[in-house]
Amino acid sequence: MEPRQRVLLQRRLGVFRALAWGLVLVLGSIYAWLQIVRHGEFKQLALQQAVKVRPIPAPRGLILDRNGYRLVDNRRALHLVIQREDLPTKPDVVEALAQALQMDPAALARKIQAYRAAGKGSPLVLKENMDEADIAVAERVRSRFPFLSMEVAPRRVYLGDELAGHVLGYVGEVDDDLMKAKPGLYHLGETIGKDGFEASGNDRLKGVDGQKRILVDQLGQEVASFGQVDAVPGHTVFLTLDAGLQKVLQDAFGEEAGAAVVLDLRDGGVLAMYSSPSYDPNLFLNRLSQEMVDRYLRNPARPMINRATQGIYAPGSTFKLLIALAGLEKGVITPQTVIYCSGKKNFYGRDFRCDKPTGHGALNLVQAIAQSCDVYFYEVASRLDIDDIYATAAKYGLTVPTGIDLPREKAPRIPSREWKRKAVPRDPKWYAGETISVGIGQGAVGITPIALARFYALLATKGRLLTPHLFLGLRDDQTNALEPAPPPIARDAPLDPKLWSVLDEGLSEVVRSGTAAANPFVLEIAKEIPFAGKTGTAQVATFVDKAHYARQAKHLKDHALFAGYAPRDRPQIAFAVVVENAGFGSTAAAPIAAKVVKYWCVDRFSNPLPPPRGRLVDPFSPEQPQQSPEAP
Amino acid sequence: MRARLRTLDPHLLWVLLALMALGTLTLYSAGRNTPQAGIWLKQGLWNLLGLTLMVLLAAVDPRRILRISFPAYLLGLVALAAVLVVGRKIGGATRWFVFAGQTFQPSELMKWITLLYVSYRLGTRAPETVGRWELLGSAGLVAFPMLLVLKQPDLGMALSFLPILLLIPLMKGLKWRWVLLLVVGVSVGGVFGWRHVLKPYQKQRVMIFLDPSADLQGKGYQVNQSRIAIGSGGLFGKGFTSGSQTQLNFLPVKTTDFAFSVWAEERGFLGVLFVLGLFGLLLTRLLDAASQARTSAEAYFCAGAAAIFAMHLMVNVGMVAGALPNKGMVLPFFSAGGSSTLSFFLALGLVMGVLHRAKVK
Repeated sequence: MEPRQRVLLQRRLGVFRALAWGLVLVLGSIYAWLQIVRHGEFKQLALQQAVKVRPIPAPRGLILDRNGYRLVDNRRALHLVIQREDLPTKPDVVEALAQALQMDPAALARKIQAYRAAGKGSPLVLKENMDEADIAVAERVRSRFPFLSMEVAPRRVYLGDELAGHVLGYVGEVDDDLMKAKPGLYHLGETIGKDGFEASGNDRLKGVDGQKRILVDQLGQEVASFGQVDAVPGHTVFLTLDAGLQKVLQDAFGEEAGAAVVLDLRDGGVLAMYSSPSYDPNLFLNRLSQEMVDRYLRNPARPMINRATQGIYAPGSTFKLLIALAGLEKGVITPQTVIYCSGKKNFYGRDFRCDKPTGHGALNLVQAIAQSCDVYFYEVASRLDIDDIYATAAKYGLTVPTGIDLPREKAPRIPSREWKRKAVPRDPKWYAGETISVGIGQGAVGITPIALARFYALLATKGRLLTPHLFLGLRDDQTNALEPAPPPIARDAPLDPKLWSVLDEGLSEVVRSGTAAANPFVLEIAKEIPFAGKTGTAQVATFVDKAHYARQAKHLKDHALFAGYAPRDRPQIAFAVVVENAGFGSTAAAPIAAKVVKYWCVDRFSNPLPPPRGRLVDPFSPEQPQQSPEAP
Repeated sequence: MRARLRTLDPHLLWVLLALMALGTLTLYSAGRNTPQAGIWLKQGLWNLLGLTLMVLLAAVDPRRILRISFPAYLLGLVALAAVLVVGRKIGGATRWFVFAGQTFQPSELMKWITLLYVSYRLGTRAPETVGRWELLGSAGLVAFPMLLVLKQPDLGMALSFLPILLLIPLMKGLKWRWVLLLVVGVSVGGVFGWRHVLKPYQKQRVMIFLDPSADLQGKGYQVNQSRIAIGSGGLFGKGFTSGSQTQLNFLPVKTTDFAFSVWAEERGFLGVLFVLGLFGLLLTRLLDAASQARTSAEAYFCAGAAAIFAMHLMVNVGMVAGALPNKGMVLPFFSAGGSSTLSFFLALGLVMGVLHRAKVK
């Protein structure tokens, strides 16, 4: 190499050297920027994606009947879920996933969007309560979508199926409306009670979710876990229900629609409450199938309504006791007042007919109750003002909801002048003729079976206005024994003992010799266990004569009612039974009440019905369904 | 053997051994808890094989090697053409020969052979006698294998041929109007390329480079995770085998392209400075060799080698930090890979030969 060329080369290599160290300097500065200036920010990001908080769902408390038999149990179930931070973002991935799981892509995308928008909470459940076939499908799908995971979660099992559907209710994911109505109270995907006691007792049953912090790898799989806060299980609850008595009602109703309530006169506890047709809460734990929508939601018989607390029925003749009470207290009749029945009577230019066209003849109050004479009570009502009737009903608790611990109870409808002004603005005036119809529990009067049962409980107790309730107490975690809760307050509305004994006499004559005694089955049981009650037949439509009525379709036939208490001496229970479109109270409703009386007073000691046993078999639980009572 | 070892340059050797050791440790940490747990051992063996070849090559007179550069260049072109026909297709690109269960990437060696041949051609003439057409011809010698590599396609590798062109200003000097011309040319070419040449997915890549956070789950994911790894490492790092990004697999392709992120996360900024310093010393020593070389051809080769190493350093270390587009270019001694490792050692062997002859002279 020539010297001159070497000099030039050295000079240019000097530039190369400067460039090399310049490069080192620039790269060093970039790393200084990332590792020193922005260190905190990146450290936060690294922690965020590696450390996750996962909720540990608290097991929901069990629900037992008053004897400790399980009505609601928990089993383990497998869900296919997406953890919150793994929610897919790309539309094509969401669509492919929806296709693989045979879901609606738009619905899935909406759900994912909602879960992403809500900051924290439960994982998104794609498929719940998977059976073995579902698990096989899920495993295949999971190999294509690694962000899916399986989660073991407790699942509710309603051991009696349709036994007490309305009373127990069911659980499900909290819905948007509730989340909006009570912000901050629920988190998305939380399991809450949706109906029945599951809903009203939710706070007692739900427990407190725990959480754990886990270290996850890039696939979201747990590598290590730390900082665990255990879940606090929900309380196991005893209900006032008696599973055997509940079964008596279920069997007694069969295919008939209607409702029945049996109250414990000691404290107002609900011993049995059945609404027919009932529903099986187990079916509501999964996504609704078309079959279920048809069977339950589109069914004209409206099985989702709890007829015992939400059904408003014309009370018919069962209302005559309130009219009698109003008449006696107002002084328009005395226990000895005799009224003549010729089969019909004219008031205000219109004929009001008695149920017996030939007439009952001359009757006193006891006979009028026993024979359920309409004319007698038309006459009593005609001597009263509608607002007097309303005031008496209000005094004895018939104008407000009973306050039972079940959601969405309806208030009875007892008409008054003020009520008509508000309810019928087109024709706000109250006509005296309307009061006559109210006298036999027709017209504008409407009452729920639970309210009717409470009114007869008031008669049975000579004036204690009980608050019907289902919550009996919590189970002590150590001893598994019942810790009784104080029953809700009862109000005293004392009846004059002289007046009361007349009513009591009338009600027991109904069963012994009156309208209910026409049924030999009822008569036989009443001979064994004397009880008291009143039949009722509530018109659904108006008919020209009996032949016309007999020709009508089932759904236009009268509702049959029976309300009363048993045994007559030292009563223990009060009850109300409504059988829809079944005809006379004595033929359809009274026998159901008689069965209740028989079971409660005799059979439950000598021949108790077996506790409900689960039809469902849990493939994941080694444990067999428990069959023996838990409480001593 | 002792005589053989004396041909080795001790400065270069220490830097080399340090980088090798750190790189292998990094691979040990990166491979833990993955199916590639043994990759550090495999890379260690490649390093030993590379060292052996380096020692052997250092003993050969560089002039003899330069003299056979033309046939080697032709052979290399044939190999690059052949790999397109009979090569193994992996991940959509045909880059590898498969031989005895090992894959071999001919383009790794070819860029050194191209450097060798261009150095030989330019070095055997006096600079004044080399005309414009001669220089254009040399550029063509670089462009030809580059095009074959682009066809594979392997844009990263093709880019690593570019530093060879630096030999031209090294030989002829640089005039300011050329620099101006280059800047204008690149800008115009860039705009034209964006409008008419780049395919949508390539444009998308550029967009993601400009804003990696815009597509966190997709293409920007790798770089984003790498930046989190580097940034969360802080000044002192999280400790050997204790980087959460690395050990929990958030960091992608961590044994090859993103190996340096593993180092940065676990050893922190101090570790980064240390390695960058070692690379600075390596480049300095290569340029020392260029200035001490007996012949122009040897000097050009050593300077070109420095330029190629610098290119790898810049693109890889810049890329994992998100400062340059995500182009697959390995970091010497850190990224696992047989072909690239052997090629780097062979080049360094040649440089050591140059240094040895210069001292003996």
